[in-house]
Amino acid sequence: MTTQTITQAPVPERTAPHSRGNRKQARRNALIGWTFILPNFLGFLAFTLIPVLAAFALSFMEWTSFSAPKWVGLKNFERMIASDSFWVALRNTVVYALGHVPLTMALALVLAMLLNRKLKGIGFFRVAIFFPYITSLVAVAVVWNMLFSPDSGPVNQFLHGIGIAEAPGWTSSSDWALPAVIITSVWRDMGYYMVLYLAGLQAIPTELYEAAEVDGASAWQRFWNVTLPSLRPTTFFVVVMLTVSSFKVFDLIVVMTNGGPGRSTTVLSQLIYQEGIGEGKFGYSSAISLVLFLIVLTVTVLQFKIQQRRER
Amino acid sequence: MKRTTLAAIALAVTAGLGLTGCAGAAGPAETGNQNGKTKLTVSVWNYEGTPEFKALFDGYEAANPNVDIEPVDILADDYPQKVTTMLAGGDTTDVLTMKNVIDYARYANNGQLQEINSVVDSVGKDNLASLDAFDMNGKYFAAPYRQDFWLLYYNKDLFKAAGIDDPKDLTWEKYSEIAKKLTSTADGKKVYGTYHHIWRSVVQAIAAAQNGGDQISGEYGFFEDQYNTALDLQKSGATLDFGTAKSQKTSYRTMFETGQAAMMPMGTWYIAGILQAKKDGKTNVNWGLAPLPQKDSSGKVSTFGSPTAFAVNKNAAHSEEAKKFIEWAAGEEGAKTISKIGVVPALQNDAVTAEYFKLDGLPTDALSKKAFTPDETALEMPVSDKSAATDKILNQEHDLVMVGERSVTDGIAEMGKRVKDEVLK
Repeated sequence: MTTQTITQAPVPERTAPHSRGNRKQARRNALIGWTFILPNFLGFLAFTLIPVLAAFALSFMEWTSFSAPKWVGLKNFERMIASDSFWVALRNTVVYALGHVPLTMALALVLAMLLNRKLKGIGFFRVAIFFPYITSLVAVAVVWNMLFSPDSGPVNQFLHGIGIAEAPGWTSSSDWALPAVIITSVWRDMGYYMVLYLAGLQAIPTELYEAAEVDGASAWQRFWNVTLPSLRPTTFFVVVMLTVSSFKVFDLIVVMTNGGPGRSTTVLSQLIYQEGIGEGKFGYSSAISLVLFLIVLTVTVLQFKIQQRRER
Repeated sequence: MKRTTLAAIALAVTAGLGLTGCAGAAGPAETGNQNGKTKLTVSVWNYEGTPEFKALFDGYEAANPNVDIEPVDILADDYPQKVTTMLAGGDTTDVLTMKNVIDYARYANNGQLQEINSVVDSVGKDNLASLDAFDMNGKYFAAPYRQDFWLLYYNKDLFKAAGIDDPKDLTWEKYSEIAKKLTSTADGKKVYGTYHHIWRSVVQAIAAAQNGGDQISGEYGFFEDQYNTALDLQKSGATLDFGTAKSQKTSYRTMFETGQAAMMPMGTWYIAGILQAKKDGKTNVNWGLAPLPQKDSSGKVSTFGSPTAFAVNKNAAHSEEAKKFIEWAAGEEGAKTISKIGVVPALQNDAVTAEYFKLDGLPTDALSKKAFTPDETALEMPVSDKSAATDKILNQEHDLVMVGERSVTDGIAEMGKRVKDEVLK
């Protein structure tokens, strides 16, 4: 993951070519550059680009992996639109993204502001918040499953303690399973995005705050008019990364609820796995993955467009 | 450093990656003769945790010194997917273990397996349990060597302490009644009368077997009584709540081995597991076996189960050797070999049963022996190209009924509707 793609790197000034030797030199440079990305590119080609293109083609075919694929045109897509399970999974994916993206962002920002000060032992707290992100996801899911246990889990015991008699059933209830997954994923991801925000906060010149203070701006006004606008590039990066990862969520849900109870937490990538790897309908599952790709692409392009308009 | 040196390093790295890639692909493909022995490859899952494989391979190698069996070990959860991928890639593993009949039907229908009627004939069609499940219009593409079926495990000490007779000729009604009696809390530790694991088969396959229902029909009225029984037990607290069992990923073994459950309907594969646990000193549960409770008290025992079988890969490197191995493994020698470690063989005759009950640690009372001879063993799930998709839907809806989100009537209606819309249409 590269943060550099968003924050603008200074472009070195180019000297105008003024001889044949220079052009030759430029070609050599390009060639060396290509050689450097070649190892990575070969891997990308073999394990990402070619399979992705193959999946696009497969979505118009019927293929069980035993016999040659058969061209079926739009049949897979027709089936998908008529399938109840697809719409359930799409709805769950969107709900998950709508919960996961803003919550993670808001909490990451709050934590970053809290931890962006010079205090003794601040390093410990930063590490503590970042820790969930580097913890094995399976362990995270299993522990949270226990915390959310309807009868004996600490979460519900706490809720009982503060006087809530009818505590939710969390992962055993189809209404609360998705919120439970969202809470877990927010807890897991916020540390990573906090670090990004922390970097963003530290890049804001203190002069801006001093000037604002001299002008008599309140803390709230300083946050609203100095901090937030200065963080815009970071926020944009965070939103894009979070949105993409939300739409692709798979592992956490598989371990925590496996899509249940019923279909209440089945998301698109899980449906792709079930239909393709589970039932051998590779054409149909490729069609779903194509739709998922288009959704993510549209949302990301929209975000870029909005960002460009703001910058103008 | 000079530019040329850098470029050379980059190229070397690229070449290195390419080479390691190739090496990785070429490694395991090596087969053939080594010091005059035929190397027979067999696909297995969880080789360490499934002792029957080692027992069979060691037994066969001892009887056939010219053969060297090499297991192709695959993660149990990924087994069907991995085998599918291997077959699609033209893999030459000789013997393929069929973990369940649904996968068997898929491979056989797609022409990935060799017909082995001669093997089945020589083992003896009449004695092989569940052989019908492998019949594809008169052709057999696999031979079952192991047959698991469901019975009732019970904790003799807990029964004695509660003053309840051993669970003989139980109906579901009687079973619920004693489960409630056996439920108690002592020293803050709860003992449940029974434990129903979260699998849908605990309700659905039992209902299908005992009512003659068809699980891929789209008509599921025959589930109703069994669901009512299960939900009533759960509501009365005589079994661990489904939601808790699911979210805690409760282990049925722990429930029974630590004496937290007095009874437990479960498959015969657990016999080997519980024997091992006792041998290792992990549990001292005083256990017994009883037939599965029944719909009525006629005395006829209906249960369900599923066979495990060996098949020969269409692309096998050593087809003849593979067939010989299967003939041995599914036959009497193989059956006796796996009996010794507590695995129930598909081949059933007096000699094999006698061998089975010689097993150290197995309860030998009359009730336990009776549990071993059910009158009728239905298939856990009918074999069809619709089985996998139906299974998924029934699983999802089972969850909802068991956590109480849908009433039994609504749940059954929804199962029917979804199976008809999504699978049968």
